[in-house]
Amino acid sequence: MTGTGDLALTVKGLKTFMYTNNRCNRAVNGVSFEIHKGKTLCIVGESGCGKSVTASSIMQLLPRLSRIEEGEIVYHAEKGDIRIDTLERNGSRMRAIRGEEIAMIFQDPMTALNPVYTIGFQIMEILMYHTPLGRLTRRTKAIDLLRSMGIPLPERRVREYPHQYSGGMRQRAMIAMAMACNPKILIADEPTTALDVTIQAQIFDLMTTLKREHGTAIMLITHDMGVVAELADDVAVMYMGNIVEAGSVDDVLRAPAHPYTRALLESIPVLGRGKNQDIHAIPGQTPNPYDRPGGCQFADRCRFCIDICKTEMPEEIVISGDHRVMCWRHEELGRDAAE
Amino acid sequence: MLTYIFRRILILVPMALVITFLVYLGLDLTPGDAVSQMIPPDQIGNMDPAKLEALRESLGLGKPFIVRYWIWLVGVLHGQFGYSLSGGVSISQVFAERVPATLELAVTALVISTIVGSILGTISALTRGTRTDHVLTVVGMLGVSIPEFFFGLVAILIFGLKLGWLPVGGRLTPGAESFWDQVPNLVMPSLVLSIMMTAGVMRYARSSMLDALSRDFIRTARSKGIPEWRINLLHGFRVALTPVVVLIGFRLPLLMGSNVIIEQVFQWPGIGNEFIAAVRSQDYPLVMMIALFSVLTVLVASVIVDVLTAVIDPRVRLGE
Amino acid sequence: MSPQRLPRTALDRDFDRILERERTGKIKAQSQSRFWSKFVSNRLAVIGLTIFVVIVLMSVFAPLLSPYDPQKIDLRAMMLTPSAEHWFGTDRTGRDVFARVLYGGRISILVGLGSAVLSAMIGVAIGVYSGYVGGWLDAIAMRVSEIFMSFPQIILVLLLVTILGQSLGNLILIFTLTGWGGIYRMARARMLSIREEEYVQALRSFGLGRALIAYKHMLPNALGPIMVNITLSTAAFILQEAGLSFLGLGVPMSTPTWGNILNVAQDLRVLENNWWIWLPVGSVISLFVLSVNFIGDGLRDATDPSQQG
Repeated sequence: MTGTGDLALTVKGLKTFMYTNNRCNRAVNGVSFEIHKGKTLCIVGESGCGKSVTASSIMQLLPRLSRIEEGEIVYHAEKGDIRIDTLERNGSRMRAIRGEEIAMIFQDPMTALNPVYTIGFQIMEILMYHTPLGRLTRRTKAIDLLRSMGIPLPERRVREYPHQYSGGMRQRAMIAMAMACNPKILIADEPTTALDVTIQAQIFDLMTTLKREHGTAIMLITHDMGVVAELADDVAVMYMGNIVEAGSVDDVLRAPAHPYTRALLESIPVLGRGKNQDIHAIPGQTPNPYDRPGGCQFADRCRFCIDICKTEMPEEIVISGDHRVMCWRHEELGRDAAE
Repeated sequence: MLTYIFRRILILVPMALVITFLVYLGLDLTPGDAVSQMIPPDQIGNMDPAKLEALRESLGLGKPFIVRYWIWLVGVLHGQFGYSLSGGVSISQVFAERVPATLELAVTALVISTIVGSILGTISALTRGTRTDHVLTVVGMLGVSIPEFFFGLVAILIFGLKLGWLPVGGRLTPGAESFWDQVPNLVMPSLVLSIMMTAGVMRYARSSMLDALSRDFIRTARSKGIPEWRINLLHGFRVALTPVVVLIGFRLPLLMGSNVIIEQVFQWPGIGNEFIAAVRSQDYPLVMMIALFSVLTVLVASVIVDVLTAVIDPRVRLGE
Repeated sequence: MSPQRLPRTALDRDFDRILERERTGKIKAQSQSRFWSKFVSNRLAVIGLTIFVVIVLMSVFAPLLSPYDPQKIDLRAMMLTPSAEHWFGTDRTGRDVFARVLYGGRISILVGLGSAVLSAMIGVAIGVYSGYVGGWLDAIAMRVSEIFMSFPQIILVLLLVTILGQSLGNLILIFTLTGWGGIYRMARARMLSIREEEYVQALRSFGLGRALIAYKHMLPNALGPIMVNITLSTAAFILQEAGLSFLGLGVPMSTPTWGNILNVAQDLRVLENNWWIWLPVGSVISLFVLSVNFIGDGLRDATDPSQQG
């Protein structure tokens, strides 16, 4: 593992539980990963696997009836390391980090923006609290930000309301808002799921440019393996609250060691392969998050399941370098794939 | 914006016409000559029968219903509301004397209930689940369950009779001149009138605030690192305000209804009080005209509320 | 774990409790229906239901609870303060107040509940069908209800009282006429939202008639809000009847109702000196309406699927 010199964020053994209806949902059940400066980490998995909760934990934006049970979230600031999990949720230290050091953009920009305030107001708001800029300067900066995100006629647009923007523009505006204070880390929670595929490509181009120009580390949450292939430097595959496989995108996509990763890759149709290509949907359903089975969570959907899978949760095993996996049978599968 | 207002008013006109039609129908069906509604009753007895007949002709009383309706409607638009059966007073004069008193009471109650209700409801939402919230909720329930007139009676007993702090009724105490002298009389009726509405606003404001606070943009605001008070006030409360203001439109009919009873309890010389007297004495013309007036007030007020909403909510203003 | 953990809050203790319960396997499956368990867990709703039942029963069994005839005048026993013989004392013509409250309850509750149920039946019948089918019936019903609803209710009621005359039956009729509009709109709104659901379209494709779909399949899904509406309407009608009778314009003075009894309180001397004639009655009305509101609130919480913690 390289020294912390190039690390932006380290998460170790994070467990976040959600308590509703007097039941406990172990949404994130022991998750560890690192985000490197200027690199993109993609967290990929089905709905409900806990990827959004992980992001919310880092930003301490969890809903009222949930909490971080265990683990460490360490933000490597310039002045030193900050243990985010020990900070008060809406205290001044956490608020100083949010928006300025770590920023987040959300899935549906229509609901994520306040409908009664102009886009300009909402961007200027974040500048008001993190920069010493005066009112006029804030306005100019807001216009500049919109322009740099590719929004035409920003002088006019800055005075308009969210519902007057198109879907893609709204997302750009939200990215503009998030990048306003040049954060070190940008967390993007399925930023294009609510948008057209063509807009999707534009947004991702935008994010790549930002990464290049500002050196922002990006944590991208998605359920789409195609996006991972396009954008990720590192990838972490999540299932039911655990990272079942992680590593560089080359390692994981070329030599997937976990059955779930392989199943995900096999279930994507590939343009150009023709209509007779092999697509396998993953059989079965995710278990009830409130009543999880013992052992590996993927057991009853896995074609390689053996007895021990049902009783014992696999440990995390390092395959090589950064590539790690949680599966009892990964060696045989690795050999199997190589053949 | 102006087109929006214009459109809203335009929609109102057919409704108003239908209602005036129904009112005139009611007037027509009730016993009593239409003449006695148009002419001061004391003059009828003195009139020469021939002249009376000619008058009937000119008022179009021999003509079909629609024509009579039209003549009546035109008269109403010119301020000729007819005459009351008891005392032969011109109804428009009755209005002129009594409406200001009612407005005084109603507007005061409306303002108090909206402000106090919104604040209490917001506090309730922000302290959700704690004892403050529970107490406020129960108090709110009490507010909508206790009959207003009962509240008024108890208030009169305690503050008027036993403690003697406030006058027990009426709008003016003898010898009062300036506006400030009249305030003590206004205190009890307006407070009692506003109780039920405040309770209603409070509950609505609470749920509106809770709803606003659960929306996605609150999470976005928090992710920007801005302070909690700003999130609650500028993002939560501001968005929660819109439905509460809209609700003013719905509260108006209730307000007018409650007005009637409270005016009776406190002997407040308003139009509601007059209405009760008219019902008791079967004074059909007066009953009808007051009913008409109240409906039109409600309709006009709902237009005003729609305009207010457009001002507050940009989505409405710019046409979603 | 880091030594700098944040202090435990009350919420933390709740969470720890849940974790402990799950660890020791104390979670039982939900055997009761979700509706009942939610309702019963709402303390206020249960209290409300209890009070409601007690008052209703007391009114129904009035003859058992009081030996007095509520109408019987006894000029030798005028204006007596409460005592062992007359629990609530007597009024200006010597009638026993407690008996009047009990028997009066029958009428008041009848008017309130009866009008609420009747107007609900009409409102739902029309609303469910016209909400689903639309067409001219819907358009007419909407216009008519809109006109009714632009009148402040008391004014409309008094208007109709002036025209139709004062009687118990008339009052129920008038309340129903003025009340159906609200429920109609609510039922219609529910129908409009359910209409787009897939199962409705599926039923249609099976060739089921529209009336059948509307009443048999869609209506049960709207029952929750309708029940809530009925309880809240009951509260509103009881308050209205009380107000009208207090003014002498509701149920005729010959029949005692809670509002009628309060009528004498308009006299300031009675107000000041004879508290037992009006204060208990007013309190009973308040208590009853409060209990109905508690029940309505409980129903609303129990039938609302979007409630969270």
